[in-house]
Amino acid sequence: MKYLDKTITEIHELLKSKKIKPIDLVEEAYENIEKSDLNAYITLNKEEAIKKAKELENVEVDDNLLFGLPIAVKDNICTKGLLTTCASHMLDNFLPIYNATVVDKINAANMIIIGKTNMDEFAMGSSSRTSYFGAPHNPWNTDKISGGSSGGSASTIAARDVLFALGSDTGGSIRQPASYTGIVGMKPTYGRVSRYGLIAFASSLDQIGPMTKNVYENALLLNVISGHDKMDLTSIKEQDEDYTRLIGKNIKGMKIAIPNFFVSDIVDNEIINKIKKTAKTLEKMGAKVDYIDMKYLNHAVTLYQIIAMGEASSNLARFDGIRYGHSKENPKDIRDLYFGTRAEGFGKEVKRRIMVGSYLLSGKNAREYFYKALSIRDDMKQEFTNVFKKYDYIIGPTTTTTAYLLTDPMDDPRKSFMDDVLVIPVNMAGLPGLNMPIGFDKDHMPIGMQIIANSCEEAKIYQLASALEKELNLDLNPWGGKKDE
Amino acid sequence: MEKKLTKEEVLHVAELARIAVTDEEIKKYQVELKKLLDDVEKINEVEGYDDEILIAPWSNHTDLREDAEGEMLEPKQVLENAPRHSGNYIQVPVVIGESEGA
Amino acid sequence: MSNYIATIGVEVHVELKTKTKIFSNSKNGYGQMANSLTNVIDLGYPGTLPTLNEEVLNLAIKAATVLNCKIRPEIHFDRKNYFYPDNPKNYQITQFATPIGYDGYVEIEVDGEKKKVYIEEMHIEEDTCKSTHRGVKTLLDFNRAGVPLIEIVTKPCMTNSKEAKAYLEKLKELLFYSDISDCKMEEGSMRADANVSIRKKESDPFGTKAEIKNIGSISNVGVSIEKEIERQAKIYDKGETFKPQTRRYDDKLGDTVLMRVKETGNDYRYFPEPDIPFVIVTDERIKNVKKTIPMLPDERREKYLSLGVSEINTTKLIQNRNLSDYFNHLLEEKISHQTASNLLLGDISAYLNKTEKDITDTTLSKERFIELVNLVSNSTLTSKNLKEILEIILESKDSIQSIMKSQGIENITDDKEIREVIQKIISENPESVEDYKNGHDRAIKYLMGQVMKETKGKANPKMANDILKEELQ
Repeated sequence: MKYLDKTITEIHELLKSKKIKPIDLVEEAYENIEKSDLNAYITLNKEEAIKKAKELENVEVDDNLLFGLPIAVKDNICTKGLLTTCASHMLDNFLPIYNATVVDKINAANMIIIGKTNMDEFAMGSSSRTSYFGAPHNPWNTDKISGGSSGGSASTIAARDVLFALGSDTGGSIRQPASYTGIVGMKPTYGRVSRYGLIAFASSLDQIGPMTKNVYENALLLNVISGHDKMDLTSIKEQDEDYTRLIGKNIKGMKIAIPNFFVSDIVDNEIINKIKKTAKTLEKMGAKVDYIDMKYLNHAVTLYQIIAMGEASSNLARFDGIRYGHSKENPKDIRDLYFGTRAEGFGKEVKRRIMVGSYLLSGKNAREYFYKALSIRDDMKQEFTNVFKKYDYIIGPTTTTTAYLLTDPMDDPRKSFMDDVLVIPVNMAGLPGLNMPIGFDKDHMPIGMQIIANSCEEAKIYQLASALEKELNLDLNPWGGKKDE
Repeated sequence: MEKKLTKEEVLHVAELARIAVTDEEIKKYQVELKKLLDDVEKINEVEGYDDEILIAPWSNHTDLREDAEGEMLEPKQVLENAPRHSGNYIQVPVVIGESEGA
Repeated sequence: MSNYIATIGVEVHVELKTKTKIFSNSKNGYGQMANSLTNVIDLGYPGTLPTLNEEVLNLAIKAATVLNCKIRPEIHFDRKNYFYPDNPKNYQITQFATPIGYDGYVEIEVDGEKKKVYIEEMHIEEDTCKSTHRGVKTLLDFNRAGVPLIEIVTKPCMTNSKEAKAYLEKLKELLFYSDISDCKMEEGSMRADANVSIRKKESDPFGTKAEIKNIGSISNVGVSIEKEIERQAKIYDKGETFKPQTRRYDDKLGDTVLMRVKETGNDYRYFPEPDIPFVIVTDERIKNVKKTIPMLPDERREKYLSLGVSEINTTKLIQNRNLSDYFNHLLEEKISHQTASNLLLGDISAYLNKTEKDITDTTLSKERFIELVNLVSNSTLTSKNLKEILEIILESKDSIQSIMKSQGIENITDDKEIREVIQKIISENPESVEDYKNGHDRAIKYLMGQVMKETKGKANPKMANDILKEELQ
């Protein structure tokens, strides 16, 4: 079979001409998932997916290219009646009684939810190893991490199990795993995609975004999931647009900035070299590339630690064993219910962050840390605005290294933040940022590049990314045709 | 010697977070939390910023909702995910004293 | 007990009269089946986000206006973090840094003296769920979770329980009259906390503060403040001190009891709510809201008195919002307003109470009421006759005069006819006529009685009285 290896337009034509049915795609997806065996999913939605696929046989295939296509959804996005665990013992029995707005949109587009993907517990981590259900594996080398927190979504896309997945990105959680696994991942502008139904980690940073194997499919999925939502007050009110509209246009005359911080000694040489080489390629394609100094980038991790942990300590306070989720058996009293439930339900990374976050907001610390971080954050956003007065894009490596081993030590609580040092600034400023693969390291692990543009300029990002994608023409199938042998 | 929080400091933040900690965990947190707290001290190295704060990268002001009733849950749905309930109520161990807030 | 100066501040929570909750569109209702007025937002389900009810903003602006507060043009919300089973998200969305109203005042009158009670700030927030304690368990009903509240905080500017009570009465009157809240303390739609401290002299620093939480009625606010002042004075008199604390009023004991000692002050870990962007309070919105504020009690009082309504009727009318609103439609009419108020507060009120109706449920249109007031003022309709036909008046749409006619209540208004009867009575009662001429006023009442008897009560009393006096000259 292997229909899912074809291009999206080819699959659509097959569906339209009734040569295949959605059920063929669903069955193929489940076969793929089983064969790949990457622990990319926490819950498979087999029964419902098959039912939905059969229902779609009675629906006319319209011009929507995504009609009938399977999609994987990160397990921190609420799906009515389908387990939504956040990869936590706290929610391992949680059946939401409502759908996230993006899930309603996926359903309305007649896409089929294939399952819920593995992730770091409550999206806190950079390798998906904090998952209560064990870490997903990287299809390029199954001994290695697929990154995090959207590690399961990255892993299943990279493995070619399905074409589409949703991730969420608070401090790089879409782009960083996309980089480690050689796929395309977009964190849209803050407010572009409704957060209603996304289980909050840090509300001012969280954003849902598409993860796909190429740029065009990524833009198509963003078309489906974006749009103003009155259930989310932070949702952007811009008119709906077609994010594919600039794909195929050349990039002649585009001005691109590479902050020196992004190619400083915190980044592996091999990666810096690849970025510099790519910059040359872009110049050959007609763009102009400058290396610039940008203030505050080196402080983004500190701001992130304070803001993300502070907000998380409040967002995760609701998990108390009273209305839903894990609850301590036979609590002695209300105190025992709170302390016991949260001690049992949360994993250690989550506990650490909640404790530190509570501390950072307590008493006079709120002024000394939290409000100070918000002040610097404002200036940091201003710094980006200033750069975008002169440049169309900012680019740089997505990660400082390529994917590391699943067995690497996890004892330094700072490690997971440092993994995201290059991707966090984008969340701080609420900007759109995309990762795309630009090559491989000496062990043939993917290297990713991030493209950042000004607010609401996703289409422009796709323009550059697709032009470069075409130019580089990389072979991004990790199995290299071996899996079917 | 490794820098550490005191046991009391760990117990204080655990109290704020409402998370029970064992003696063994306390020992671990004394080191781990200290590392993170040292990290955030770096905020004091930043200079030259103004007082204006950015709460979130909002693109617009709040839209107001019309005061019109929408769909509500059945009491039975409210109880669906609750581990303890009694009649139409969600149940918790008895709470002594009044609410801290409101 | 030596003399101390008390310093009192009051914090009031008022539930707003909206159709839906503050951050979700589920119904804002009271006394319904437990957990029947909620949705996933009220329950604090993971992934849910707040939306903001426009009417809450409008009512808050209205409250700020009637409390003479300044209104902040741009506001945001904050999270107040504390764990409690009645707090679904374990944080409450409130306003900490940018309360919508600030620097206001309310004018009160105590023992004939006017005084301003200053409002420090007033802000918008969400209510918690309701918990009921049953033995070893506590039961939670989330119907109240997310009901909109405003909290109004005074400066510590009151010095005795009378002032605090007068302030609460006045606050209740203002908020109730402007349709902001039901202000029913018994149902919890208005809740009061009092902060009390005492000191020897004005020049001393403030004494240690005790907060008395959630007092159930205005009179209990008075009692609890008095008791608290007494308690603190006794401690100081013994040369002892006490720690800042939270207390509650125990109705059965008739005294305050300790709830908890505040060790280091509460650590609510406030920070700005990232889920709700800035809210702009436009001048236009303020202007439109101001238009919806009805005439407030003080203005009504002044108007009524100037129209000749007695002090007591004025007070009674203002206590009955519906009658007062009805009465307000008549302010420009050339009628006896005292008679109108008598009618409303007397027979009509009795009928409304008996039938559990509202004045607007009756057929008494403004025009028919004016007719009624005039007929009563010129004695065409006696109070005895009115009682007989009131029900018909309030339940049919016919003119009052046609009702009188159909019910056989005639009224002899023919001058000649009455005069003939009077002349007859005068000739039959020479002694009474003599008494009258000798200055015995009582005689005229006797003669009038005879006239009414002769006409079977149908003579227009006012006319008869006038003619009788004429004939006796």
